[in-house]
Amino acid sequence: MPAYKLTYFNVRGRGELIRLLFAAGEIPYEDVRIESDNWPELKPKTPMGQVPILEVDGEVICQSMAIARFVAREAGLLGKTHLDQARADMLLDGGIDVGKLFEEMVMEKDASKKAEKKKEFGEKTLPPFLALYEGFAGDNGYFVGYSLTWSDIAFFNMMDFITAEFPSALDGYCNLTKVIKIVKRVPGIAKWLKERPITDN
Amino acid sequence: MPAYKLTYFNARGRAEPIRLLFAAAGIKYEDVRIEGADWPALKPKTPMGYLPILEVDGATLCESTAIARFVAKRAGLVGKDDLQQAKADMIVDGMKDILKKLILMVLEKDEIKKEELKTDISEKTLPEFLSKYENLANPSGFFAGDSLSWADVDFYNLIERVRAMFPGDHLKGKPNLVKVMANVKANPGIAKWVKERPESAF
Repeated sequence: MPAYKLTYFNVRGRGELIRLLFAAGEIPYEDVRIESDNWPELKPKTPMGQVPILEVDGEVICQSMAIARFVAREAGLLGKTHLDQARADMLLDGGIDVGKLFEEMVMEKDASKKAEKKKEFGEKTLPPFLALYEGFAGDNGYFVGYSLTWSDIAFFNMMDFITAEFPSALDGYCNLTKVIKIVKRVPGIAKWLKERPITDN
Repeated sequence: MPAYKLTYFNARGRAEPIRLLFAAAGIKYEDVRIEGADWPALKPKTPMGYLPILEVDGATLCESTAIARFVAKRAGLVGKDDLQQAKADMIVDGMKDILKKLILMVLEKDEIKKEELKTDISEKTLPEFLSKYENLANPSGFFAGDSLSWADVDFYNLIERVRAMFPGDHLKGKPNLVKVMANVKANPGIAKWVKERPESAF
């Protein structure tokens, strides 16, 4: 049984999908959270000067989606066929731009710019994205085939962040609401959601 | 009748890594190139409203990296085990930032701003990126394990695009990366494709 060591800051951010996947697969791992003060010393030791990184079998993997895909595979949540896996990849990649815009809005320090960005996101960016993804989600509550894959968990994670700012975002989206419900009920995830450290983002 | 149908504009752009992978593995596919004028009619029929798309086994995939990874799997170029696949993924994902900067620079209409972006890329972003990637490639000239993977092909494609915009010997003093380029060029399918592919502006 390989030992997994995840290193990231003490935030959900780009590490949380990885942590959710470890939880879903009930795979033990070391969840290392570093302080910003310790980052300058660690940075040159990472492959690309960024975290999260995953250490496994003497190797170091970086890039959060590459790590997440690796953990999804270990957890049996990648998708059953190459085509299913490609569909999961495509749905994940398709959400990246929206995720970035949300992040920019949250990180905006100027209060009036932030309000503007929030309005733009809530009225222009989010609705077409959710409408599109409602169509992608099956009425059984899965994005790919007939069983849970990491694309369902990634969607849950993204909406976990977004609904903190837009609580009623999923009102009226039956399929997407089903996806969220199913993910929350995965035993390992339910446990993690109860126990995980509370962080601002 | 090929089982794969790739649709994109008549450009290398976001489709070229996919075409290179089909070529590397000798997999036949339909390489559809549409005119700009035909795009509005096709757009609503695509999964997310953009190209490239790949039609295969009755399904339609979008997102160029997702498509490339799928083709790499079918081509046996994805990495030999879990860790190699993760390495290849990380190498490909790590190139997105510099690619984004290149695209922003190309699209920038303000000449002064464009020069600033160009200088930032050639003096800062590109050298930093190449230093990191020299350390991530092994002395045999592969990013994932000891044989060709889609990460090597993707890197080759990026460097070709960089050279077109920033002439110069960027890989001087970077023997691992020089080997990666040589390994990709030595693949017979890729060598043939590069000679025969349609000319396009970008």
